Formats: sequence, C-alpha cells, structure tokens
Amino acid sequence: MPDDLFRFFRLLLAWFVTIYCVIVTAQSLWGWWRWLAGRDRYLSLLRRYLLVQALRLRFRAFWGDALICLLLCAAFLLIWRAQYQMDQIEQTLKHVRTSHVQPQRAS
Amino acid sequence: MSSPSEPPDRRQQPGASRPGSPAPPVRIADLPRDELQALAEEFGLEPTRFKTPQHLAAALHERRQIIAAMDREAMLDVVRWGRRPVPLNAGKEQLAREIARITTMRFSGLSQRGLLVLARLRGVAVEPGDDVPALIRKLKRQEGFFARLNRKRRALLGSIVSNMLGEDRAEDDYQFLPPQSGGDSPASPPRRCGSVKEEIEEAGLLGGLAGRIKRSADSYVNQKLDEIESRIDRKLDEIDRRLAEWRDKEIANRIRILKITLWATVIVGAASILISYVKLYWFS
Repeated sequence: MPDDLFRFFRLLLAWFVTIYCVIVTAQSLWGWWRWLAGRDRYLSLLRRYLLVQALRLRFRAFWGDALICLLLCAAFLLIWRAQYQMDQIEQTLKHVRTSHVQPQRAS
Repeated sequence: MSSPSEPPDRRQQPGASRPGSPAPPVRIADLPRDELQALAEEFGLEPTRFKTPQHLAAALHERRQIIAAMDREAMLDVVRWGRRPVPLNAGKEQLAREIARITTMRFSGLSQRGLLVLARLRGVAVEPGDDVPALIRKLKRQEGFFARLNRKRRALLGSIVSNMLGEDRAEDDYQFLPPQSGGDSPASPPRRCGSVKEEIEEAGLLGGLAGRIKRSADSYVNQKLDEIESRIDRKLDEIDRRLAEWRDKEIANRIRILKITLWATVIVGAASILISYVKLYWFS
C-alpha cells in the first residue's frame, strides 16, 4: 500500500493518460500517413495541395497564442521540477525525523 | 523528328506514333497502299501520279529529304502567312503538312524565302535566287488552266456572295498554338481564317459557306466553354479562399483550447506546489 494515496493516484493517472494519448495520436498519424502515401493521381494532387496550404498558413493570426503556449509549457516544466524538489525535501525531512526519533527511544 | 541521314525505310512513319505511346518503327514501303496515299497527300504529293507503291514511297522519301533541308524560319513564315494552327516548337514535318494544306493562290504578304518553301512543297522547280515576281509566276503557271478557270469562277461567285452578305472583316494577328511536348503530332483539321470570298474561291460555294458556319459555331462553343471555365475558376478560387479561412480559424481555435488546457494545468500545478509548501513548512 503506498504511503500517500493522492500521489499514487496522480502518478497512475499521469501514466494512463500519457500512454492513451501516445497511442491515439500515433494511430491517427499512422492512418493519415498511410492514406496520403497512396499512389493515386488525386492523392498526389492532395499531397501537393496540403503542402501548399501548410506553406500558406498565416502565423500572424495565432502566433501570440502559440507563444503563450510555449511559455506555459516552460512554466509547467518548472513547476514540475519544483514539485519534485519539494517532494525530495519532504522525504529527507521525514527520514531525518525518523532517524532522530529511533535513537532517542533506544536510549 | 528523325534525322535526314537515316535510310527512309528504317524511319518511323510520321503520324503513326503519339507522344507517350512508343510504337515500333514502320517501314514506309511496307505501308498499305491507302495509308501510303494518305501520307503522300499530307506531304503535298499527288498519289495518282505514281504508278506503283514503290514509286510513291521513293517520292515520299525524296519529299522528306527536301523538307529536312528546308529553312525552318521560312516554313514558319508560310505558316504565319497561311494562318495555320501550329505550335511554335512544331517539327519541320508538321510544318510541311500544314503548309501542304494551304491551297490559296493569293501570295501577297509572303516573304521570298516563304515563297521558295511553298513552291518546293507544291512541286514547282525553283532556284534559291528567284525573286518574288518570278516565284509567283512559276507558282501560278503550275496551277493549270482548268484549275485556274475554276478558281476564277469560284472567286466571282465568292465576290457575289460576299457583296450579298456584306462582310465586314477584321483580321487578327497570327498567334501560334501553345507548345506541345512531342515533336510531330497528328495534324489538326484545316482552319484557315479568310474572307467569305477567299473561302469560296478555295473551297467552292457550299464548302466555303459550310466552313464559315462551322467556324461561327466553333467560336460560339469556344466562347461558351471559356465562360464556363472562368465560372469554374471563380468557384475554385472562392472554395480555396474559404478553405484558407477555415484552416486559419481551426488552427487558432485548437491553439486557444491548448492554451486554456495549459493554463488549467499550470494553475493546478501551482496550487499543488503551494499546498505542498504550506504542508511542509507550516504543519509538519
């Protein structure tokens, strides 16, 4: 049984969601890839058209949101790192306390 | 186009193959008689003047050698003057076929080198040094008495019909067809744009009028096709514009959703770390 049930639930959820997202995204990308890799004349036309659409994408319409997303990702990684550090401190404190309490009881 | 140095019977028959579909070479001498005659007519030869297919094949070979030795620019002069529909990158044999279709005896506007080419393709013996009046004289002499008589009769008829119809003719500048990928292509149907009088003079009363009606119908159909094409183009542009708008909007929406999700994640993460901090330093 884990010490902290909330942490255990959080870890389990993170693993499940990550694996689910990876599988679903990979499946979708693989399906698109296979469909677009066809040798049909019209699919070749479609590939070129998609490329043209991608090149004609207007970044001005959403570059602000994209930048905010990048900054939020960076903030999320920092918070993750901070949470990890905090957990380490908590573990260390717990260890120190238990190691201090046991010699007192023994004496 | 095959080189003139090749033996005639090892060359590919002109018009037998189309671009994109390689066909084995066909010997001219092995062609059936009717195909040989059709080929000879295309090159401006009179098949009935040759007794055997061998003679005709030899004449064809000779004609092709003459064509290969001709000046291409001079041939283009004739094509422009005769207003034949050919692409600018057409081969010499294709140009020669189109020139062979020109039957008019009005030579005004044609250069000296063009007259030389025309005369050679009509089987007239000419010298490179012949001047324009001499060339025209030789060409007219080659026509023959009865043919000239018939032409004059048709011209008279044509002028009468032209006066009755009251034709108002404005001739456009000549334009070449778009370039084609292959060298020689199957010849297009004859389409010389002249006045009613000239057409009747060349093709007779019925032929001239029928040609005129056919051309009017063709131009009407072409005009309608152009209208349909421009309408389709407008529609496609509209679809493309809407698709581009939808694409930009869709991507902006998805990024906004991602941003909201990330905000929620960061806020929850910050709250979590705050709770951890309070728990660690205040309540432990």
